[in-house]
Amino acid sequence: MTKRVLIAEDEPHLVESLSFILERCGYEVAAVTDGKDVFDRVVSYRPDVIVLDIMLPNRNGFELLKQFKSDNELTSIPILMLTAKGQEQDRATALSLGAEAFITKPFSNRDVVSCVDGLLKRYTDKS
Amino acid sequence: MSASAIGYRIRERRRELGITQVNLADRLGISASYMNLIESNKRAVGGTLLAKLAHLLELETDILTGAVERRLSDDLRELPADPLLSHIRLEPDTANELVARFPDWSRAMLTLYRAYLDNNQSVAMLSDRLNRDPLLQESVHRMLTHISSIRSSAEILNDVADLEPTRRTRFVSAIHDESTQLSEAAQHLVSYFEQGDMGNRSMAATEEVDDFIIANNNYFAKLEAAANELRRSFDTQGRRNLGGAVSEFLQNRLGISIDIIDSSSDEKLTAGYKNQCLFDRNRKRLAFLANAPSTTRRFQMIRAAALETSADLIDVLITDQRLSSSESRERARQALASYIAGAVILPYDQFLEDAEKCRYDIEILRQKYDAGYEQVCHRLVTLRDPRAEGIPFAFLRADPSGHTSKRFPQFGFPLPRYGHACPLWNVFSAFQTPFRVARQLAEFPSGRRFLMISRTVTKRAGAFHSQPVLFAVMVACDVLHADRTVYSDGIDFDSPGTATAVGPTCRLCARHECSHRQEPAISILGE
Repeated sequence: MTKRVLIAEDEPHLVESLSFILERCGYEVAAVTDGKDVFDRVVSYRPDVIVLDIMLPNRNGFELLKQFKSDNELTSIPILMLTAKGQEQDRATALSLGAEAFITKPFSNRDVVSCVDGLLKRYTDKS
Repeated sequence: MSASAIGYRIRERRRELGITQVNLADRLGISASYMNLIESNKRAVGGTLLAKLAHLLELETDILTGAVERRLSDDLRELPADPLLSHIRLEPDTANELVARFPDWSRAMLTLYRAYLDNNQSVAMLSDRLNRDPLLQESVHRMLTHISSIRSSAEILNDVADLEPTRRTRFVSAIHDESTQLSEAAQHLVSYFEQGDMGNRSMAATEEVDDFIIANNNYFAKLEAAANELRRSFDTQGRRNLGGAVSEFLQNRLGISIDIIDSSSDEKLTAGYKNQCLFDRNRKRLAFLANAPSTTRRFQMIRAAALETSADLIDVLITDQRLSSSESRERARQALASYIAGAVILPYDQFLEDAEKCRYDIEILRQKYDAGYEQVCHRLVTLRDPRAEGIPFAFLRADPSGHTSKRFPQFGFPLPRYGHACPLWNVFSAFQTPFRVARQLAEFPSGRRFLMISRTVTKRAGAFHSQPVLFAVMVACDVLHADRTVYSDGIDFDSPGTATAVGPTCRLCARHECSHRQEPAISILGE
């Protein structure tokens, strides 16, 4: 069954290129650009991995991360956080809130793909 | 050189001026043998004889007595506390010798040290800004997102050989759009940095103003005279309070308008207000936030009047060589105007008489003069007219984080110039009992004891959603003067255990076992 990836990122060009590259790797991809829509989209789409940017309009990525990790039905979805390079505190916060992985911007497409692959493998192995 | 070395200083200066010992004794009206005993440090000199000597030797009394050197020496003693110098064995006591032998080198060293601290503060501020400034963080994140997008699209163009033409066009277009936005974000960031004003408080400037005030022993005779004159200018006939007369004086005589601004106004409108007040000298406009209490309004109105009527006098005073920058001079100008305002509200002679009469009960004094608690404390520090001195008080103001925002030392009281004070001082515990006067007999490692009197003061909030500003104010005097104050009542000064063992600041404190220690003391303080 095709694995689903939800990208929560407000930069449309980045969403387009990431979607393109993940789809080429065999994933089904959906995207959401506004922080306030992320939770509902996760509930309706039920992705296998969430790629979540820290700075989203209207809802901070950390708040969303905390909400997912405290929700019994959603807590098992692995989350890949997108942080800005050099902001060590952000990474520490992301991990302490339960993010499974993070990637710092600017990243390579290969970094994202291998990270999503790795998370799904771990997630699949667990289930 | 110790205070007892005044005789050597007199002899040296006399010789410089080519005056014989006999001649000097004659002009002083004392015997040559007595003069010889003074110069040999076998007789003390003070009072009018000291003043006369200083006059004849064309020196300021402070220089002759060595007070200037002692202050310099005290300041230098804080250098060994700096971690930067911890590996050098600097004996604090040798500072005296250094100052005595090489005063100019000592001053140069202190100047450099202050500049170093100032720069450190700027670096810390910039570093903090880079790490915490939300606008900056967002800009950096935005730029990195644009770069990620460009890189991602570029990789696709490079790596995907069978890319459809329409998709290729879209990714090329994305790179174009993203690089344009990246350029704009970069320009925005550069202009943000070029705004220049980092809002930093130059330590060097504040230190210089401190030194300037301390060098004058917290007292300015000329400003007292200016205050008396200004008070006479106010038409208080038939008025119950001074405030109304000052308001009339400002508007009718000086053409300064007075406005009240809604405290809950847009922050942009109330930006620049300090002490709930903004005085625009060019526009001749004095504006208050509506939450400014009447004592603050009166004080600031008089202050504005002083800036106008005593401008020439203040200009002369701030030409002092200790004030080396325009920022220092401007800060000193504001401080001197405040001095005049305090002196108008609390006239020296009357205030001193009342203070002695009520045994320095600050509450009684503030009621009598309808003044703020901090205003009264501040005025107490300035009662240093050699003709009629009050108790020598040191003054410290701190906020709840421990940051000290105002300090007026007195000789002998170890107010740290840099960093935090001892956490055991009651100026900090005063926050636990707001608006109640706390007193504390504090004993320093040197064995000197001081009576500390502290209380919180607040600048009231402008609206429900704003936070009132809270400070704690402390005045402290040597225990030798404590019995002249109401705050000594009931304290058994002779009973062991009455005094709290405190220090000046952890790094300069020899109480190694203190459970309140925040950082290690410098090793040369001894085990």
